Amino acid sequence: MSARSPRLLLPFVAAVYLGLLAPLVVVIAVSFGPSAAFEFPPRGVTLHWFEAFFASPAFVTAFFRVSLVVGLLAASLATVLGTSAALGLVRFRFFGREAVETFFLAPLLVPEILLGAALYLFYARLAVQASIWTLLCGHLVICTPYVIRSVTAGLAGLDPRLEEAAMSLGATRVQAFFKITLPLLRSSLVSGAIFAFIISFSDINLALFLSGPQSTSLPVHIFSQIQWQGDPTMAAASSMQIVIIGLLILVVQRIFRLRLVV
Amino acid sequence: MDHAGARPVWAFLTGPYALFLLVLLLVPFANIAMYSLHPYSPTKVFLPELTFDNYRKIFDLYYARLFGRTLRLGLITTAVCVVLGYPLAYCLARASPRWQAMGLFLLIMPLMVSAVIRIFGWIVILGRKGLVNQALMAIGLEPVKLLYSETAVVIGLVNIFVPFMVLPIMASIERIPPSLEEAAQNLGANWYRMFGRVILPLSLPGLISGCLLVYSLSISAFVTPALMGNPRERMVGQQIYDEVLVSFNWPGAASLSLTLVLVTAALMFGALFATRRAARREKAS
Repeated sequence: MSARSPRLLLPFVAAVYLGLLAPLVVVIAVSFGPSAAFEFPPRGVTLHWFEAFFASPAFVTAFFRVSLVVGLLAASLATVLGTSAALGLVRFRFFGREAVETFFLAPLLVPEILLGAALYLFYARLAVQASIWTLLCGHLVICTPYVIRSVTAGLAGLDPRLEEAAMSLGATRVQAFFKITLPLLRSSLVSGAIFAFIISFSDINLALFLSGPQSTSLPVHIFSQIQWQGDPTMAAASSMQIVIIGLLILVVQRIFRLRLVV
Repeated sequence: MDHAGARPVWAFLTGPYALFLLVLLLVPFANIAMYSLHPYSPTKVFLPELTFDNYRKIFDLYYARLFGRTLRLGLITTAVCVVLGYPLAYCLARASPRWQAMGLFLLIMPLMVSAVIRIFGWIVILGRKGLVNQALMAIGLEPVKLLYSETAVVIGLVNIFVPFMVLPIMASIERIPPSLEEAAQNLGANWYRMFGRVILPLSLPGLISGCLLVYSLSISAFVTPALMGNPRERMVGQQIYDEVLVSFNWPGAASLSLTLVLVTAALMFGALFATRRAARREKAS
């Protein structure tokens, strides 16, 4: 940074970061505090709300049976769909390629709340009951573009001649892909998969419409707990989500460039 | 790889996701478009005749106010995001790689945590016995009612969407060579003059795309106004949610959704083209 930039710039930026991180800090602090009235700063440290979390069937189901399962399934399916789409877009030239590319990133341009409403009305017309599968299908729509973005970025940094070399040495195209290209794409693939998981795991807007009574995801359960003024058990659940997501983003930052995925 | 093979390999590769999006993105919106042209009946799910009433009602006083409030809150949110986000983007763009990595982590981590959790944190901070009121009482002032107001909604929206302002601005400032800044300053411009003449005009594409992104995200917000807003002063997102899941007025919800999706999609495409054009212009130069 230029030495002559205004003196107040850095304190200002620090204050913005403070505001950005404040809600997360408060949630984590409240989850360890003894008070049921969401006191901040807490007057002690207890694991009481984490015990309450694991003792609550509603929270355990929402976290482990719905959000985690849907997140992992969405991440794996989005990785397969997204990687193959990215390969098709980057490695081949065909009529209308740019239009297809824009279409594939379109889910990022549609407000999630409207996509949720549209899918809800679509399922209603087909008389499909809400379940983790309806939720999963919705999440795949919004997760896959992240995989496409990161794999496209990974492919851009990859020399296609490596694959050609393998083929001239006798590998078939499929062998060359699995033995050469795929291992070289590993970090962008993993990053895309991690972001797909995170997007599904923290989604609220689609889940509000698409999860049924048997498939309430963690953010939806927290939403209703806020509305019905629950106790800091939801803070404990939130802290766990914050820690998981923080760690996953650190992994992406280690192995790939964060900027190419977000 | 063979680009003009006899078998269209690209179709096998892109086909599955294209089909998926067709069924779960285009068809649902076509379905909504159809719903929006049929009249609402409290007793029947579907009436066969066609009507434009669902669109006409958007001009009723209630809906006009709803849209007015939503668009106004979106503008305020966007303006606050520019004020808070621009300096942050500038610092990140000009930071050393190490600080940049840490700054990006601290920007993207909260962005990825569920919006509900961040709103929950703000409710604790702004609540009747929250941090802000504790501080006010400690210095001998009366506690104020912050939550369930437009101010609270704007605070929540800004907190959630500021990263969407920072990232595009940061990308366009990074493309401005630092030597330009030094040149302007060596030629006698002070920092503010240099900023106004060099950085601001050259980062305009990023600023525009950030503004369009934040605006279209905030006018379609639901969770923030639902949890932090005054229940009598709602935003369009809440109206759509209620018409779908509470009052089952699906044709009404459909016309509102379609109007909102057209507005936001136009803005988002604007943002996309602003960044693409900037990238192309750079390639050309």
